[in-house]
Amino acid sequence: MKALRAISGMLAVLASSGVMVAGEPGGLWSLKPIANVQPPEPAASWERNPVDTLIGGEAPQQADRISLIRRASYDLTGLPPAAELVGKFVADPRPDADAFAEVVESMLASRHYGEHWARHWLDVVRYADTAGENSDHPLPHAWRYRNWVIDAFNDDKPYGQFVEEQIAGDLLERGDSVIATGYLAIARRFGHDIDESMHLTYDDAIDNLGKAFLGLSISCARCHDHKHDPIPTRDYYALYGVLESTKFSFPGCEPKQQPRDLVPIASGDALAAMQVWEKQRDIFKAKAAAELETQGAIAKALKDLAAKNAKTISKGDVLDAGSVLVTENPIELKVRIGEVLQLSILPRANHGADTTALEFSITQGEKTWSTSDLLDGLIDGNPNGTWCFLDRASDLKFLPQRHESLDGKSALQAWKGGDTPSVFVNSSHDPVKVWTTLPPRMFFVHPGPKGPVAIAWLSPIDGPVSIHLKVSDGHPGGDGISWELEHFTSPAIADAYRHLGISGSHQTAFAKHATTKPALPVAYAVAEGKPTQTKLQMRGDPEDLGEEVPRAFLSALGGGTLGSDKSSGRLGLAERIGSRDNPLTARVMVNRIWAWHFGAGIVATPNDFGNHGAPPTHPQLLDFLARDFMNKDWSIKAMHRLVMNSATYQQSAREYSLMPPRRISAEELRDTLLVASDSLDRVPGEGHPFPPESSWNFTQHNPFSAEFPTEKRSVYVMRKRNRSNRFFALFNAADPNASTAKRDVTTAATQALYFMNDPFFHSCAKKFSMRILAHSDDTRARLDFACMELFARRSTDDELTAFEEFSTALAAPKTESWSAYARVLLGSNELLHID
Amino acid sequence: MTHHRHPSRRKVLRSFVAGSGLMPGILHQLAAAELDPLAPKSAHFPARAKNVIFLFMTGGVSHVDTFDPKPNLTRDVGKEVKLDHPEIKNRPGYERIFLKAPQWEFSPRGNCGTEVSSLFPHVGSCMDEIALIRSMHTDHSNHYNATLGMHTGSFSFARPSIGAWVSYGLGTFNKNLPSFITIAPAQTYAGTQVYASDFLPGAHQGTLVVPGPEPIANVNPRISTDRQQLELAALQKLNRQHLTSRGNHHLAEARMRSFETAFGMQMEAPDAFDFSRESDATHQLYGLQRGATKGFGWQCLAARRLVERGVRFVELIDTGSSGNWDSHGNMKEHEPLARNVDQPISGLLKDLKSRGMLEDTLVVWTTEFGRTPFNNKADAAGREHHNWAFSSWLAGAGVKGGITHGTTDEYGIHPEKDPVHVHDFHATILHLMGLDHERLTYRHSGRDYRLTDVFGKVVDGVLS
Repeated sequence: MKALRAISGMLAVLASSGVMVAGEPGGLWSLKPIANVQPPEPAASWERNPVDTLIGGEAPQQADRISLIRRASYDLTGLPPAAELVGKFVADPRPDADAFAEVVESMLASRHYGEHWARHWLDVVRYADTAGENSDHPLPHAWRYRNWVIDAFNDDKPYGQFVEEQIAGDLLERGDSVIATGYLAIARRFGHDIDESMHLTYDDAIDNLGKAFLGLSISCARCHDHKHDPIPTRDYYALYGVLESTKFSFPGCEPKQQPRDLVPIASGDALAAMQVWEKQRDIFKAKAAAELETQGAIAKALKDLAAKNAKTISKGDVLDAGSVLVTENPIELKVRIGEVLQLSILPRANHGADTTALEFSITQGEKTWSTSDLLDGLIDGNPNGTWCFLDRASDLKFLPQRHESLDGKSALQAWKGGDTPSVFVNSSHDPVKVWTTLPPRMFFVHPGPKGPVAIAWLSPIDGPVSIHLKVSDGHPGGDGISWELEHFTSPAIADAYRHLGISGSHQTAFAKHATTKPALPVAYAVAEGKPTQTKLQMRGDPEDLGEEVPRAFLSALGGGTLGSDKSSGRLGLAERIGSRDNPLTARVMVNRIWAWHFGAGIVATPNDFGNHGAPPTHPQLLDFLARDFMNKDWSIKAMHRLVMNSATYQQSAREYSLMPPRRISAEELRDTLLVASDSLDRVPGEGHPFPPESSWNFTQHNPFSAEFPTEKRSVYVMRKRNRSNRFFALFNAADPNASTAKRDVTTAATQALYFMNDPFFHSCAKKFSMRILAHSDDTRARLDFACMELFARRSTDDELTAFEEFSTALAAPKTESWSAYARVLLGSNELLHID
Repeated sequence: MTHHRHPSRRKVLRSFVAGSGLMPGILHQLAAAELDPLAPKSAHFPARAKNVIFLFMTGGVSHVDTFDPKPNLTRDVGKEVKLDHPEIKNRPGYERIFLKAPQWEFSPRGNCGTEVSSLFPHVGSCMDEIALIRSMHTDHSNHYNATLGMHTGSFSFARPSIGAWVSYGLGTFNKNLPSFITIAPAQTYAGTQVYASDFLPGAHQGTLVVPGPEPIANVNPRISTDRQQLELAALQKLNRQHLTSRGNHHLAEARMRSFETAFGMQMEAPDAFDFSRESDATHQLYGLQRGATKGFGWQCLAARRLVERGVRFVELIDTGSSGNWDSHGNMKEHEPLARNVDQPISGLLKDLKSRGMLEDTLVVWTTEFGRTPFNNKADAAGREHHNWAFSSWLAGAGVKGGITHGTTDEYGIHPEKDPVHVHDFHATILHLMGLDHERLTYRHSGRDYRLTDVFGKVVDGVLS
């Protein structure tokens, strides 16, 4: 029942539709060979190239140059055109076609081109920076794939290669092509323990592979033969086997926090440095292991000595969220050199490991030894002067691991033995937010779940001392903790501690060495796994298996095996999809390019070239473009040139025409606001400031949910799967949970509220107004500047009058008039729409 | 950043439109439904309910401690049971499980005599209005999946929320407010997906209200409304010139109108959340301190005021993905959580009833799953996740009050009579809204999708 429900999304309401006869000649149009279309000779003077002759019809009206340059600039770079470029183009004495061709070239050469067109592709492959499972683990290395896509567009990587590298770049070994397989790795993850739901991830990957490259809804065949397209269930599992034989990078999930199977992409030098490090590690490890053997005896001798000379001075409980000032009046006692005062913090109940704040000091006359002395030098050593930090769990031992930061926070330093136990400090003068908010300048102890942590003071003095002690729960919401303060009254015991400390020196050295591990760059990518013959899953239930299905290509595209049985078949799959003989690959991509230029495809359903998708409105044009694409070495930039230099593209925008006006996207809006306020950081983004992997503890109760503000282009903004960014969701950006071929454009009052009241919008408008004011003292010149920046044109007389009326009505200082009018201009339909 | 008091809303709108806003002719054109995905649409058949208030208790409320009395659990406490349960399978320490007794007394409530535990005394007093379903079950024992399922009908994949489906199916009455509002102090499991529109048009996504000083993002003007009016008038002037020079441009037209709506929303939304003119008696009914801007009482009163203003679907989420009903460690944690919602919910039901609004408003109360009637020790303080059985209830428009529907077995482990799956629950809610869950479809990726997938059966037993 459960499996049936889980898989049945694709069964939904299929009964009413037509039925496709699989493999029948004369069947699905998109599977037929791409026709060798000879475009007619230009029959009319307006027809500039084969796009025009194949579209035919009436002569379209040529758009004005202002519309053209805004159209081209947003279309190719997603940014407003620079004023100089506008001026040059508008003044260019050559015919429109020649002048515009040069504009197109300059924009194709801009690095911003790749950033914008990569965004289109990232929509299709549902790129995100988190995994999407229940705790939405971050993917700190996925950005390399994102940037690989950007570079591929900028370098005009032939599309056939672009396809092949994303499926099997690790096997092609073309430069950094392994990074391209991030395409497969970013498949969505599901559930609590994602290893147990990999069948859903394979399904997600098959679904995307089919839609993105082939325009086929292959995953509809997971439970039953595809109802409309010639895709039998066997074909689905033939591809499933390819993915099952592939090792995907593992992002981490609630029960398995740490990533694994990331793919190293290091150079020779870095690898050599790593080998040296590993060799040293093995030496340290051997010494530390040998040391452990002798240490047990030393620890036992110390414990025996302590037990014989122990006096409990004080002990008690601190309840959840509580705080106990143990020493209302200081405890007075006498010590001798070499004796020890030991304070232990113990878990109070079974969940009792908890962050505990300590204030502990020992005073004699003018001289004081205090835990607050440790705030700035905790990790100088253990023992640290007169202080020792100990794990009392089973064998007494010194906390061996020195941490210069915790959870990525450099204000926190620690001695640890594994996850817990630990002692640590917040050395900062500010509170630090980690698993709880840690107050400034404070010393903490975190006992382990199984045992206490002790701090021991080895007395360097004789005579009376006063002890102050305060114990507070540093992380409300647990079971509280207990404390115990003991006095070991043998003058020999400090030496026993020191002996134990020295006896642990190799462990400390080993732990310290571990922190010097060279960081090798890795990719979130895939590698070959264990070749697996998959079995058919009955109705998509991974626990109800049918016959074995050999790995193979789609039967509708010729079928056949995908290379050696010893391989996953990914290389074969990549070659079959990236092949000139595949009738879908080129058609699907040229249709996408067309749709991203015109707002609608020749096939209106770019992800569905099946019987339920739309048929092409201009089949000859589609096939001509597909062949031309391949003949020009799969060059996407050549396709842009062909399309954009046509009269069809350059026509004046009209509703319900081939070139309708469009609304700018969420990313274009944000980037435009950053440009207008002169605050766009144009340096390409890389990784995001995720907390270090070693600190991860994301759960479904506390999933990863950070946002990382940046002034870089929107393509570099970190996107999560389970907690969408409010701005991008509001303005119809793609949901990274599923492939988006074409974005919705909706208009909502909540969007208008953004232009009225959003703090970021207001701040951009303010900055824009300062640029306007700085530009000139003359109102007309200011208005011209503003209009040129936003609309690529000068202002009109009417607009000057309108501004002056507005300014008069507002009756405010000029600076305020301009910041108010900047909001008006930045919220205007002329900015938000492209003709 | 200054916040000014609003001038009279009517005056502002009049001056805004007449002075320099849209020409009436354009306004008329803009009314076309094509431009407005939220325009009211007719239902498939006469609706019993016009609005929904969906109360979601995060974390898994124990059915056997609240709405499903199981005296035999008390009688047989400590008895070992053998079950192939998803939460104990391969879990160390859970090799053996034992029945655990409920910790709260049940007693008959109202004229109907439906038994409710002492955790919900106030809701108990409303049982004559409530159709209690004691035989709910769901597919998944994980919070994330079960929460996603309760909201979208899908247990793994992102899909549109039930609120988005209702908005898509019926549109809304008041253009000055969103059609679907989720009021949540913190994000629940599955985050924003629980109120997302997913593949449905974006206008149907839930608008998040976070209790506090700015309940809807960007709804508070950052400049005086006088000045804002001038700016909007200047904006519409520019936009009108733009439209005139472009001819037909439905995106531009729709966006012009959205500013009118936003201005209305800026007036109306703060008004919806301004309780100052609510009487002391009303405040008391909800257990709400005058002037408070959060708490479940605030959320419930806000829900009534939003429904009053025509919002189609209001969801209230009581707590976030931590600190909620997920009482593994100690069932006593249910006490403050129940206290947080009990009086506000009964206040909401009584208030709706006294205003005659309960006739048009469907109130839904649910959680993502129940809690195990057993644990690995009979005296264990907590209970684990239990998706096999739990309790939910409906009240108000079209609902037969004072009844219970379905039963569980003697220990509350499995539904026994009339099991109701989440899909059935959804089908029933849509039915009460006049929507046939099999006909409310959306074409996406070449397929027609439904809230209820290919399942769901209306639960006739709860209909009046």
